[in-house]
Amino acid sequence: MATNRTGGAQRPNGAPQTKVCQFKLVLLGESAVGKSSLVLRFVKGQFHEYQESTIGAAFLTQTVCLDDTTVKFEIWDTAGQERYHSLAPMYYRGAQAAIVVYDITNQDTFGRAKNWVKELQRQASPSIVIALAGNKSDLAAKRMVEFEEAQAYADENGLLFMETSAKTAMNVNDIFLAIANKLPKSESGGGAGGAGGARRLADGDTPRASSCCK
Amino acid sequence: MNEEALLARASEERERIFQRYERGRENLAGQIDPWEDPEFEEYHKTDRYGFIHDERLPQKTAPQKINIEVEREKKWVKMLATWDSPTTKEKLHRRIYKGIPNSLRIKIWCKLLDVNRIKSDNPGKYHEMLRLAKQWSTDVRQIDSDVNRQFREHQFYRERYSEKQCSLFNVLCAYSMYNSEVGYCQGMSGLAGVLLMYMDEEDAFWALAVLLSDRKYLMHGLYIEGFPKLTRFLEHHDRILTKFMPKLKVHFDKFGLDAILYSLKWFFVVFVERVPFSLCLRVWDIYLLDGERVVTAMAYTILKLHKKAIMKLNDMDLIVNYIQVKLHKDFGFEDDIVIYHLERSMDELRRAKLDYPGPPPPNELPKRQLGMFVEPDKKSKIGQRAENFSETEKQTRATVILRREKAAMELQELRVSQSDTVSDHSGVAANVRCDDSVSALGSRRSLADTSVTSTADLSVFSSGRSHAPENSLDTHSNVSDDGTGSGIGGLSIQRAPSTAHSTPRATPHPPSVSPLSDDIVRIHVTYNPLAASPSHLHPSPAKYKSYSDEHHKPISLGFYTSNGASNLSSDNRIRIQVPSEELLTPVVDSGRIITQRYIESQDMYDLK
Ligand SMILES: Nc1nc2c(ncn2[C@@H]2O[C@H](COP(=O)(O)OP(=O)(O)OP(=O)(O)O)[C@@H](O)[C@H]2O)c(=O)[nH]1
Ligand SMILES: [Mg+2]
Repeated sequence: MATNRTGGAQRPNGAPQTKVCQFKLVLLGESAVGKSSLVLRFVKGQFHEYQESTIGAAFLTQTVCLDDTTVKFEIWDTAGQERYHSLAPMYYRGAQAAIVVYDITNQDTFGRAKNWVKELQRQASPSIVIALAGNKSDLAAKRMVEFEEAQAYADENGLLFMETSAKTAMNVNDIFLAIANKLPKSESGGGAGGAGGARRLADGDTPRASSCCK
Repeated sequence: MNEEALLARASEERERIFQRYERGRENLAGQIDPWEDPEFEEYHKTDRYGFIHDERLPQKTAPQKINIEVEREKKWVKMLATWDSPTTKEKLHRRIYKGIPNSLRIKIWCKLLDVNRIKSDNPGKYHEMLRLAKQWSTDVRQIDSDVNRQFREHQFYRERYSEKQCSLFNVLCAYSMYNSEVGYCQGMSGLAGVLLMYMDEEDAFWALAVLLSDRKYLMHGLYIEGFPKLTRFLEHHDRILTKFMPKLKVHFDKFGLDAILYSLKWFFVVFVERVPFSLCLRVWDIYLLDGERVVTAMAYTILKLHKKAIMKLNDMDLIVNYIQVKLHKDFGFEDDIVIYHLERSMDELRRAKLDYPGPPPPNELPKRQLGMFVEPDKKSKIGQRAENFSETEKQTRATVILRREKAAMELQELRVSQSDTVSDHSGVAANVRCDDSVSALGSRRSLADTSVTSTADLSVFSSGRSHAPENSLDTHSNVSDDGTGSGIGGLSIQRAPSTAHSTPRATPHPPSVSPLSDDIVRIHVTYNPLAASPSHLHPSPAKYKSYSDEHHKPISLGFYTSNGASNLSSDNRIRIQVPSEELLTPVVDSGRIITQRYIESQDMYDLK
């Protein structure tokens, strides 16, 4: 059953005018490691043990407030089954951030995560911010991937790294916030192909924050 | 770990998983984690299809509806008794579009899928496959993890290792052996899950087999690696959008919303969890009767019915949320109304020859004989991923990347031209109303809504035995077709009302796409690749409804960029053909068909 959010990410309730930046973030990783659960925890503050398996991908958004900036994440939660791998570029192309997820109780999923990191380094925008999440940290008793091993790998590859639990909410908001902090908040800060920097919030009719991302 | 150890581990895991399902819920007392079983207060919250809801249900089905259903049941019982008779065949279409009574669904679905025939043609096969799966299937882990997550809010699947959960597991495992090219793909648990709500295990297995490999449905091509059928049907879906709802297409493009991002589940699981379950069943009824065309038409219908609302949403998350979440919770139209529109959409698409993207190419068909045992290779036994993409997958990847890049480019063009439009014609464009609303909802675009500016240098002449005044096009205009920002037209057409075309569908003619036929008008357009590239001359959608003013009945214009043969070199010239029937006309670039679309006459403007 759903449990309520235990706080963390602030929503911009009645916040004074701040810069608003929009980032595209993609979640990658083996099936059943908890990608959808992490997103659900972050976006709705809930956890479902029987979270539906993802077909293709799911899309959600969440907004977090940093000191002077509001960051809106457009989150693509992808399907983990290998068969769906060929669709992945559809989701990670143009993404400014990625969370690669593995399950700490399953060594294979860590190997799979490494492959995702490699693929992102080769194929995604060069300035993409990648975070590695070792999920299901509440199941530490069944741990198969050591914290140090993953930390060392993350350091080598310049990744953000945290062990998370969608179930207990541990580090869930934190990992998104860490990404938000690391993302360049200026339009010029981007990488190739216009994929790097923040996009100003919604073109067209959505009101623009006047001082956005300058 | 060495290979042997890995193999041993994999087979140990498979056996362990299998055992739990074999023992089932009763025999697993104390071995099921308490959190695996959601506790629901079942009273008042289980709907007539078996789904359990978080809140009390708003209302029971109205009594008169129940009465209607009882009446229908009687008729259906009669029909079932005389299933193969010509009268039944005749009535079937109409009855099914009205909805199959829920209590008879199991029988009628089995009839429609001819489950009994395939079952009796293959005695013992199902159990053989299940046995083989226990020993060999490499998809057991994925199936287990998906069974654990499928329809858990339904009473059948709510409890871990319940009877139906075990059936679901068995059907999917057996199928993974039966069709070794597909094995198991995420999404199939949704299909089998629905079938098992109505059928027993073996029938559901055969029903699934029919859905995947029978020509009428052929979901095989959706689920094999590379998803070739998905890409093909999505392209077709785009074509339909471009033709009938170009504004909506531009709206999606504006937010980088590729069809794959919102419609994948429509194709993969035939609208399960994308529309309310009661409606989903109605669509399944029709899908089982009429096959894959129904999915295409329903996709179109959904967008058609919700176009207005979607056009108001100005961000990708709002649009996706609307299409994927909101419409699942509350579709906003009664099921009967939706089905009515679905049927009309099917007619509409058929008339436009867009109901069907054509027969499947060989790569969408099963290559191996179904039901033949193939021993999995070591890699898949261990659960290792292939190091390289297969050819089909590479192709899909390329297609996906291409789609993405094309969308990005179009988006950029849009933004550029948008700012052009605003700066160049701000005074004019502002009062152009965007209204390419759908036929279903009724809309018209009156002449007053259109403003014309002369920016393009167009000269017009007709060829052949032209009917000069009627068919002449006076086109020194640049119509921004949409004040909200999709105004990318660098060209528009003015055309006098023509009696010759006042009843476009009354006298069908064969498609005429030859540039040499009558009624050809050439228009020379100042070419600005951003503002007036042909792919952005979005026509308005076809209208199949009456217009208040008899003179403004729709006609369509075939649209060509000139090709080499037409003696216009690397030019900025575009040729417009006026066929005498509302028919699909390909847009040709250098002799290559790019896309097929209409130009419709609501974009026709008065000659003053
Ligand atoms: N104990 C524990 N279980 C978790 C955690 N996160 C997810 N799960 C469970 O793991 C299973 C899979 O979670 P999902 O979020 O559906 O996994 P996914 O990565 O989205 O899987 P796909 O959609 O198949 O790619 C579910 O049964 C979750 O309840 C966690 O932090 N702790
Ligand atoms: Mg998921």
